[in-house]
Amino acid sequence: MEDKRSELKKIIMDTRTLPTLPNVISKLNALSDNDKASVQEMARIVSSDQVLSARILRLANSPSYGFYRVSTISNAMILLGVNVVKSLALSSSIFAIMEKNSVGLWEHSLGVGVAANLLARKLGLPECEEIATAALLHDIGKVIVSLKCSEAAKEILGLTNERQIYTMEAEREVIGTDHAEIGGWLAKSWFLPDKLSEPIAFHHDVDKSLNHRIKTSVVHIADVLIKASDFGNSGDRYVPVIQKIAWDTLKLNVQIMTELVAEIEDKLIEVRNFSLEMMSE
Amino acid sequence: MQKIPLMLAKAGMVLARDVFRGDSPVGMPICGKDTVLTDALITRLDQMDIQTVCVEGHPVWEEGERTFDELLQNLDRRFEKSRQEPLNSMLYDIYKAYLAKSMGG
Ligand SMILES: [Fe+2]
Ligand SMILES: [Fe+2]
Repeated sequence: MEDKRSELKKIIMDTRTLPTLPNVISKLNALSDNDKASVQEMARIVSSDQVLSARILRLANSPSYGFYRVSTISNAMILLGVNVVKSLALSSSIFAIMEKNSVGLWEHSLGVGVAANLLARKLGLPECEEIATAALLHDIGKVIVSLKCSEAAKEILGLTNERQIYTMEAEREVIGTDHAEIGGWLAKSWFLPDKLSEPIAFHHDVDKSLNHRIKTSVVHIADVLIKASDFGNSGDRYVPVIQKIAWDTLKLNVQIMTELVAEIEDKLIEVRNFSLEMMSE
Repeated sequence: MQKIPLMLAKAGMVLARDVFRGDSPVGMPICGKDTVLTDALITRLDQMDIQTVCVEGHPVWEEGERTFDELLQNLDRRFEKSRQEPLNSMLYDIYKAYLAKSMGG
């Protein structure tokens, strides 16, 4: 089993074997995050790819961020930050590769993005956009499993139905790892910062998140809420157990959750329309 | 709250959201949340080409829509494996209350 895991890791970490990401992505990764010249350079590179810029702007204006009207890539960089735009570029490329049968997962991801953003704002947390981005990407490992190991993906699905277990459990049994860990590897191979890769890698094991536990907790709770709400299709039909450590880290209570559920449900009406538009493009 | 086509709006229904020109939340709303609809108002919204409105409760029954009992059954199924946990049980109650309220119960 350990063999299978390291073999898989090798496949995934080897970016050459990943679905071909647009050229722009590797150019983006080569630029450093903070210096001013490279921000402009980055905006120029992204804007040179019409299709990609269109997708990034659509995502930046999605209900997951929903509080801005972003009309240009350089505005998106200023408002959302370079890291966010970089990962939006990556995720829009990956989501574009997702097949039509992953609509359910795409909707689940958007929903978790929205829920995480609402929760983060409600709690007055810093870096809400980063949290929303991590949430949007949290199950990206599932996309990779179905792209890279389609046989195993079928087996995993079969197992969850047959034995009524969580996807995580089936994944660990079939491939010796799970989508969260795979998502973490992927985030590393894309050079995403820890504040994005940690919530992705530990959204099902919040206690393992050491440096960005607050962000990881938000993504975990948002995932639970969207599963409880039955929005989209994550592959799991059961609501996961709320991890006490996430609850305590965010100091949640019944009142916050009651208000949050109403806010999320309200917003999800828009998300459904948005998702339909995005998919028909 | 329910989003319905303006065609199905009736006097007495209460807006659950602001109504904007062109259906997107830019500029000033034409008509505010909590407004009680009247026949005159519905006619005016129609003239302004408003297609849908969000109203309180769940006044319109749509084809193929699930009943409260069905929604509750699905909720039970989703929480089957986790409801014995206190935090999940709390979340279950919140969703159940939300469903009851949104279905106008
Ligand atoms: Fe997950
Ligand atoms: Fe998820």
